[in-house]
Amino acid sequence: MINLVKNEMLKIVRKKRILVVAGIIAVLVALFTYSQFREIERRLERFGDVDWRTTLQQQIIDTQNRITSSGISDEWKSELQLRIQQQQYYLDNDVNPMEPGAPTFVRTFAEHSINLFLPLMVMVVAADMVSSERSAGTVKLLLTRPVKRWRVLMSKYITLILSVSVIVVLFGLLSYLISGLIFGYQGWTAPVITGFNVEGNELNTNTVQMIPQWQYLLMEFSLVWFVALIVGTITFMLSVLIRNTPAGMGVMLAALISGAILSSMVSSWESAKYLFMINLNLTGYLSGQAPPIEGMTLGFSLLVLTIWGIAALIVSFAVFIRQDIY
Amino acid sequence: MRKYSVQMTLIFSVLSFLLMMFGLGWTIQNQFFSNGAAEVIEKAKPEKEASKKDGKVVVALGDSLTRGTGDDSGKGYIGYLVDELEEKSKEKITLHNFGVKGYRSNQLLNQVKQSEIQRQIKNADYILITIGGNDLFQSGQAFVDMDEKKITQARESYLKNLQAVLVELRSLNDHAAIFHIGLYNPFIDLNDSEQTTKIVRDWNYETNKLLDQQKQAIYVPTFDLFQLSVNDYLYTDKFHPNAEGYRLIAERVASLITW
Repeated sequence: MINLVKNEMLKIVRKKRILVVAGIIAVLVALFTYSQFREIERRLERFGDVDWRTTLQQQIIDTQNRITSSGISDEWKSELQLRIQQQQYYLDNDVNPMEPGAPTFVRTFAEHSINLFLPLMVMVVAADMVSSERSAGTVKLLLTRPVKRWRVLMSKYITLILSVSVIVVLFGLLSYLISGLIFGYQGWTAPVITGFNVEGNELNTNTVQMIPQWQYLLMEFSLVWFVALIVGTITFMLSVLIRNTPAGMGVMLAALISGAILSSMVSSWESAKYLFMINLNLTGYLSGQAPPIEGMTLGFSLLVLTIWGIAALIVSFAVFIRQDIY
Repeated sequence: MRKYSVQMTLIFSVLSFLLMMFGLGWTIQNQFFSNGAAEVIEKAKPEKEASKKDGKVVVALGDSLTRGTGDDSGKGYIGYLVDELEEKSKEKITLHNFGVKGYRSNQLLNQVKQSEIQRQIKNADYILITIGGNDLFQSGQAFVDMDEKKITQARESYLKNLQAVLVELRSLNDHAAIFHIGLYNPFIDLNDSEQTTKIVRDWNYETNKLLDQQKQAIYVPTFDLFQLSVNDYLYTDKFHPNAEGYRLIAERVASLITW
């Protein structure tokens, strides 16, 4: 089995997929770092070197003003209200939610990439794992060996898990190293508040805990990793089912993008919460955002994603073992 | 070389995998099985009063007038005031605008009890307040019906709140001058203008009386500014001032501020 995995890993390395992904991530991180840097510079120019508390207070006031303006939807209103309560909590506890430094950049970047960008990167590796061997015909060579089919697929899947892990960790490392050039590498021990509970329109702060940022990052990245893994598994299934790699990618892309769009408008369609793409924003539970559909929790989303993952895996194996190869 | 890179990738990936598994385990343990006992981290003692200021600090509190509703450029009287002060003196002026649209006196009272607002108030050289417009005009039916009893009630509670606000401000900052911008009558052109004018005048009179009891608290009348050609100075909602109206108020306040 180990040799099979090595063999698969060799293919991934030969195809330079991980290098491509690393390159894309590096370019994007550089881009965002620069834009944030400009933003900070502009703010310095406009308001001078102000205390973060002042800025945060001003943000709260601005949001309060936005709430009172007419023609704002109820949902948006309650979301803004939540944000105010949260910011007020940060302020009351004298914790800077945006402690300057690379770790904070990594935290926000991961938060924003979890439901679209990272899944896309995972797709780059996963989408043609099986289908390309079939379109190139190499799968015959693989299957004529005295190895059981399920072992062949298993080795591919293990390789996928490993590459997903590499991608997620690389993502963290690259964004830390690159953004640190500008923001500095400090801030690992800055406190972060997590455990906000959203109940209706009220922010429940009973379960709130304050943890150092490195711990928060670890938790956040493990959730990012989990999402990447599930997306990878589903892409893997599509790669088994659909011979044509671009078609498989297209299906997955459509699912991911529809998820990103739906999340902002499904709050009245309750059964949408069983779709995997609505559940991708796991880090939102850590930071205390309102879930896309009321009643969704971290446990629920993890469960839904796990079920989708297991189902995809079963389908992949069942199909691959019985499939005619020609 | 190729073999080597595969080996490296394998080792790196297995390590990443283990790290992520560990993280996920920890997350699940933390989110579902810990009893939420907040670990208190050593907070770095904030050096709150440290901010060495140069120039003057203006803190603006209040309702939509402070926010600048009705002014197309979004400045409001505060914006024009700061412009004018900067022209008049060479000093740098830092403005903190905490106005929230629709605020009433009780909400303002809550606001000045927040720690961060209090911190800013402590540093202020000038405090500007517009409050009361919503207490009076938005009290719903009472103003439309000219129900005198209810309006008196609204005024009483407004005065009580304003009194509390002023006391709070004074206890935080005993050197800043406090300016309270009085009400004008946006309905002076309509029927019943006699009655509405009387109500607003009484309201302003009581406010003025209250401010006179405080040290360094100045009541700034605006009633006369809007008296003759109210429609030239009102925004299309016929309630908030427009840019010209705000400029008038700003000029008046600016002439009161000296250093």
